[in-house]
Amino acid sequence: MVRRNRVRLVVWFASLVGLFAYVADYFGSVFTTQAALDDFAAISDNPGIKALTGLAAAPDTLGGAVWTKIWMTLAVSLALGIVFLVTRNGRADEELGRTELLRSRMLGSHAQAVATWIVLAVLAVAIGLAVALVSMVAGLDPDDAGTTGSWVVGASLAGVGLVAIGVGALVGQFTATSRGANGLGSIVILGFYMLRMIGDLGDGALTWASPFGWGEEMAPWGANRWWPFGLMLALTAVLLAAAWLIEERRDHGAGLLPDRAGSSGAPARYASPLGLALRLQRGPIVGWTIAVVLSALMFGSVANQMSDLLDSAGGNVAAMLQGAGVDALVALLCSMIALLVTVFAVQSATQLRADEASDILEPQLAGAVSRTRWVLMRLLIPAVGALALLAIGGGLLGVSYGSTIGDPSQALRLAGATLAYWPAVMVIVGLAVALFGYLPRIAIALSWAVIGALWMIMILGDALNLPGWALNLMPFSATPTLPAEGMDWTPLVVMTAVALALVGAGLERFARRDIQPA
Amino acid sequence: MAIEIQGLHKSFGRVHALRGLDLEAPVGQVTGFLGPNGSGKTTTIRVLLGLLRSDAGTVRLLGGDPWADAVRLHRDIAYVPGDVTLWPNLTGGETIDILCRLSVPLEPERKRTMLDRFDLDPTKKARTYSKGNRQKVALVAALASRAPLLLLDEPTSGLDPIMEAAFQESIREVKAEGRSVLLSSHIFTEVESLADRVVIIRDGETVESGTLAELRHLTRTQVTAVLDAGADTLASLPGVHDLATGDGRTSFAVDDDALATVLAEVARLRPRSLVANPPSLEDLFLRHYGDELAALEGGGRG
Repeated sequence: MVRRNRVRLVVWFASLVGLFAYVADYFGSVFTTQAALDDFAAISDNPGIKALTGLAAAPDTLGGAVWTKIWMTLAVSLALGIVFLVTRNGRADEELGRTELLRSRMLGSHAQAVATWIVLAVLAVAIGLAVALVSMVAGLDPDDAGTTGSWVVGASLAGVGLVAIGVGALVGQFTATSRGANGLGSIVILGFYMLRMIGDLGDGALTWASPFGWGEEMAPWGANRWWPFGLMLALTAVLLAAAWLIEERRDHGAGLLPDRAGSSGAPARYASPLGLALRLQRGPIVGWTIAVVLSALMFGSVANQMSDLLDSAGGNVAAMLQGAGVDALVALLCSMIALLVTVFAVQSATQLRADEASDILEPQLAGAVSRTRWVLMRLLIPAVGALALLAIGGGLLGVSYGSTIGDPSQALRLAGATLAYWPAVMVIVGLAVALFGYLPRIAIALSWAVIGALWMIMILGDALNLPGWALNLMPFSATPTLPAEGMDWTPLVVMTAVALALVGAGLERFARRDIQPA
Repeated sequence: MAIEIQGLHKSFGRVHALRGLDLEAPVGQVTGFLGPNGSGKTTTIRVLLGLLRSDAGTVRLLGGDPWADAVRLHRDIAYVPGDVTLWPNLTGGETIDILCRLSVPLEPERKRTMLDRFDLDPTKKARTYSKGNRQKVALVAALASRAPLLLLDEPTSGLDPIMEAAFQESIREVKAEGRSVLLSSHIFTEVESLADRVVIIRDGETVESGTLAELRHLTRTQVTAVLDAGADTLASLPGVHDLATGDGRTSFAVDDDALATVLAEVARLRPRSLVANPPSLEDLFLRHYGDELAALEGGGRG
């Protein structure tokens, strides 16, 4: 188990601890005076930051500032990473029949699952310990406070990691495929993130419904609470026990959700690449539509609470939001919807390589379909789908927000604001297609790395200390942040051209190269 | 010719998979394509499908270029991959319809016949199928159409003997309709009973090709006889090899062109019983791979 995953384990460990160390070091060099920290503390209590990275804790200390900036990113990354690792070593192996081989030997029915849990628990605890050590070495603890804060940070991350093991183990019992398990696991993790987001922005009740919320409430260098860590341990134990019980009762290879008999024939439209892709991606399309609709409605209601808060706070807070007041927050919410849509579009675009890698492309191309036509029809889904989802997401955000402030025109206004991200989304899709053409073997991993980088930049922004021109090259940063800024067509036209060029380059290469199964 | 390949080369990085392969498959015939795992059969078929681009050599498929004219040619081709991958969430029946319609019009009547013949439940999700059943899905999809050329890459490696018989029946029907088949396989009895012509390859090169009758000419007939008079006179005849006696039996191998004279001499010796076996396809095959077998045995590993 360790051997098969050592590279992944090391990469997750190194990148999470490394990111913490990097931000700690950078903040240490930037916030040299208490005044600078006080400034940071003043702006870290605004709704946009609460929505993205959660509640601030003692942001007027160096440790608290680092925590406020980076904790949520680390926690969500760690949780997703661990869910994927659990699936990879549980459901994916079972699907591929590797487990059968092992179980037919000496191993008991739980042996493999427990081995996975133990190894990943070690990973989570190791990351927690390492972060605590880095925190002490970087001098994040105030001089007179001992090292309690550092230990609380470490424990909060380890706790989130442990809960994620439980989540991964349980979702792996419900679905019969690794794709289903990863999808369900991601939804649960994102759901926890959303719950604490609504809680943090509202009265805080929902914050306590999410393990991320518990982690936040540990508040190192501030309240320094230990007992939420106990909540996380208890939830982990409950989730793992449930997974254990289900694994004991179900048949090997089956999920809890049963397989039904289906149709004995397919309609003629499935014989076209588009028809087939629509059928195969039906689940993701419906799922992402629901995700976008729910997020948009939620964001909209949140934006209203924010505007109340802004009104009561007067001009000070508004000024901190770069002068544009609630529009800056709304623009941020628009870009979050665009990011969700990008994930959908990239997932759809990476199916090109997924089909090739799994050998299922071969029988399709053995049919009377040219490679170019196959790719282009497949790309209609991310292209048109992204357009539709952006319009729906922005429109509903506007409807939801507009209804609370009594301004129905917000629907159109915000639909326009999110639609402005379409060229940026298409650049990422184009990148995925170009990677598919030129570097098929690593295309999927690289495409997701791009998404990860976008998310990091959006959340961490200046903490990464990237040069301005590099930020401006990022498709999301280049898009005008409507409605906070004015409309600027130039970057949109340029990005559309770049997207077309990327797709063209990828297509041209794919039409000339060998088909390379994994 | 349905397929004509001359001097085909294909490399993957440093691996030289095909080194000057030749292959001909006449229209209306079943051409057996024999070679052990890793000898280049699947690579050849992928080149024929335009999935891989040849490095050198000429490849003609139904009178066209398999790379440049792929779309047009695929309207006339049904393909069964060696390792069948299906969409896990679609049913077998849906998959058959899709795979078939991607290239040729589906004939519902044929689909029903083939589903019955191969005893396949089309309403089950593909992920619940065993390896043999996945293979049946691909076979039914290929056989449910009237494609002029069938490219079959080890299509029966997961099938039981009853299904093997159903497969052979189906291929005979295809042949009776004047359609062409390229059958890659390492099941000798299957190729022997179906193929008109055989191509044997080794390490990406063609080592033997022709009709079974032609190929048999190249090898020796194995003769075992019980001779009262002793076999001394036989040993000196030209064309007799590996003569051995024991338990009153005499056995030896005879070159094909010496068969008549040798058998006349055997008749003169008044045999009490006589068995003569023509070379099987397996013998033909092993003639080319004998050194590898010897190496295996010499290696002393069981």
